Amino acid sequence: MANSVVTNQKGVLVDLTKCVGCGSCTVACKMWNNQSFQHPQTEEFQNAHGVDVELDSNTWTTVDHKLVEKDGKEVWRFVKRQCMHCLDPACLSVCFSHSFHQTNEGAVQYNPELCVGCRYCMIACPFDVPKYEWEKVMPSVMKCQFCSSKLADGEAPACASVCPTDALMFGNRDELLAKAHEIISSDSKYVNHVYGEKEVGGTSWLYISDVPFGELGFPTNLPEQSVPGNIHEFTRFTLPIFAVGATAWAGISMYTSRRHKVHEAEHGHHDEK
Amino acid sequence: MEKHEQTENKGMSRRRFLSVMAGTGLVGAAATMTGCSPVSDPSGTGWLPNQYRNASAMPVKVKGRVPLAPENVSLVRNDEKCILCGQCLEACEKVQSVFGYYELPVLDEFICVHCGQCALWCPTGAISERDDIEKVWNAIQDPDTYVVVQTSPATRVGIGEEFGMGAGAWAEGQMVTALRKLGFDMVVDTNFSADLTIMEEGSELVERVSHGGVLPQLTSCCPGWVKFVEYYYPELIPNLSSARSPMMMHGSTLKTYNAEKLGKDPKKIVNVAIMPCVAKKFEISREQFHGLQGGAGHYYNDDTINDMDYVLSVRELAKMIRKFLPDADNFANYEEGKYDQIGSTAGLIFGNTGGVMEAAVRSAYKLITGNNPPAGLYDLQPVRGLEGIKRASVNVPGVGEVKVVVASGLANARQLCEEIKSGKADFHFLEVMACPGGCIAGGGQPKTAVPPQDWVREARTATVYEHDKAGQIGDTNEKGGQDLYLRLSHENPMITDIYNEFLEKPLSHLAHELCHTTYVDRSSHLVRKDV
Repeated sequence: MANSVVTNQKGVLVDLTKCVGCGSCTVACKMWNNQSFQHPQTEEFQNAHGVDVELDSNTWTTVDHKLVEKDGKEVWRFVKRQCMHCLDPACLSVCFSHSFHQTNEGAVQYNPELCVGCRYCMIACPFDVPKYEWEKVMPSVMKCQFCSSKLADGEAPACASVCPTDALMFGNRDELLAKAHEIISSDSKYVNHVYGEKEVGGTSWLYISDVPFGELGFPTNLPEQSVPGNIHEFTRFTLPIFAVGATAWAGISMYTSRRHKVHEAEHGHHDEK
Repeated sequence: MEKHEQTENKGMSRRRFLSVMAGTGLVGAAATMTGCSPVSDPSGTGWLPNQYRNASAMPVKVKGRVPLAPENVSLVRNDEKCILCGQCLEACEKVQSVFGYYELPVLDEFICVHCGQCALWCPTGAISERDDIEKVWNAIQDPDTYVVVQTSPATRVGIGEEFGMGAGAWAEGQMVTALRKLGFDMVVDTNFSADLTIMEEGSELVERVSHGGVLPQLTSCCPGWVKFVEYYYPELIPNLSSARSPMMMHGSTLKTYNAEKLGKDPKKIVNVAIMPCVAKKFEISREQFHGLQGGAGHYYNDDTINDMDYVLSVRELAKMIRKFLPDADNFANYEEGKYDQIGSTAGLIFGNTGGVMEAAVRSAYKLITGNNPPAGLYDLQPVRGLEGIKRASVNVPGVGEVKVVVASGLANARQLCEEIKSGKADFHFLEVMACPGGCIAGGGQPKTAVPPQDWVREARTATVYEHDKAGQIGDTNEKGGQDLYLRLSHENPMITDIYNEFLEKPLSHLAHELCHTTYVDRSSHLVRKDV
């Protein structure tokens, strides 16, 4: 179901075992997107990395510090969160104002200039990514753009370019996927799962980890079929149902109006007197 | 005329205007809805350092920044100021060999030895010491407390730089005056406790050398170095001198010996230290110095007494002076204040890399031979200077050649640790300071050059040695006329006093309680990486 616009599908492979929680990626994101460190609603200063830090309209990526149990010991794991850039994005499919589109590189770009603020995308997103500018009079939805202009220029996205440990590896998605499987099969510490390979039809961002993804806050109950692909099973009947309905309605309308005319002709102008 | 123009301007009727507007709106809305309308690219347009403007497959060497735990007791980072220049990481990895020397994934700690080199290298001030000014100020304002402040040897060649006095300017007297103006009740000199350290650590060395103890002995004054050993070389913990750092010895003796002398309730004494260091903030948080595990707490059997209470960096002191003293601009002209408790210039040279070694050699000579050292040992050139690793040997009558090594910068120290581990080390005593150049260029010193530069280090080092040569510290030169007086820790009259009146002798039971400590194996918090 991948959009035919995407001719050069890029991706980022996140190796969660390599992340040291420095938060460089979150700073790079703020710098490149000219975002402040203020929480849009509370207006309090906040770092975009730490324990229980969440995405908001002003923070498109976070690094969530998670203290999890591993082999009977508590260990830190740091989980970068941002838009997963689905290959077949639900947000794009539900948006009736065409605010979303995919770039050649597979970035799911959101354009606030086209947005009417209905927030369908927020409901549709399986990863709870789009965030609303609740504080604004004319709010938009906001999310990571995968640095689409940098990608178009042959550059890595801001976050991936600054990672000091290569926990974020940028490249062609198919190559990264092969690499992910290679890493997993050659090192037994990894969980045998590339998150994002199949989830909701596949995502541009891929994760590998030595701790089960569920413990790190990833939704694990997602189908392998994309959301648009899934609902296509019944949404594809929309037009036929409309057509049949319209035809039926037209038919009934014609029938009743004709019957009315016949009735009038037969019984004449009884009431005129 | 005017009227005529106005009529002409009203060329369009209201009805027509409205329909044109409505039409434009409809066309625009239609174009927008169908996605035909040209819209600007919503992608980011910000700025990133040049090294990041490429595909990440490129082997960029300088990127990212150091991981810092939000709860780090020494250092904080303001993300708003971070420009991802990568300098902190350069310092942490290349200078200190901390980052990159443990395997990933990480375990349960953000590995940090709190040296603060990252803060010195940070060009924007995003990384800085955790600010404790308010806590200290509140203690000073509290009429119930007796606030004692001690100043580390290296502070007096740093603080002046914050007030335009030039690199390495001597500002001891001005600093003491400023501290008194700020309202500290007692101003003492860490040079004194450095002397005390020499007595304890020197005696320990003599003990180890003469009774076949674990050698080489490693100095333990530098909390960054100590934590480094605890993380990476726990097998060398037995080599670490059990002597506390001067600051911690001072903390415990101030709340015991001095408290008794002054007739003060030790619970009301608040110990503050001005340090060229941010690792000292971590050091006072070590549980070995708290309550019953600590010196003073154990002495009084009181769990609420900690040996030290607050540490301020030199930068924080400068900030405090500017904030609270209206005449701060006149700092350079402050009168020459005097300490309430003085140290020797052997204590003073602790501030330079090689200084602890030189001071120790001077007194160890006395401890072993019973005589004061010959003139050459007052100018031990091989251990002086900014070279990362310096080796020397000293001929001590009765013992023979004592081989000593001095290192500053933990990457250099790491080489020596490997040497010891592999059994190749033939030296007896190793001095390590985490910061290149020693405390004079410590992580809490003014950022006179960013990143730290040798010309600043050299200026500060030179001032320290100059004042050691002059031997003019303090004003109680009772034995006036003797050149070498007060260049020897063991001849500091206050050191003689504390042993006579309180501690009895070096390594006594009480000295062990108040002036020595234990270490923790921290190797379970990381997987050491052999690089």
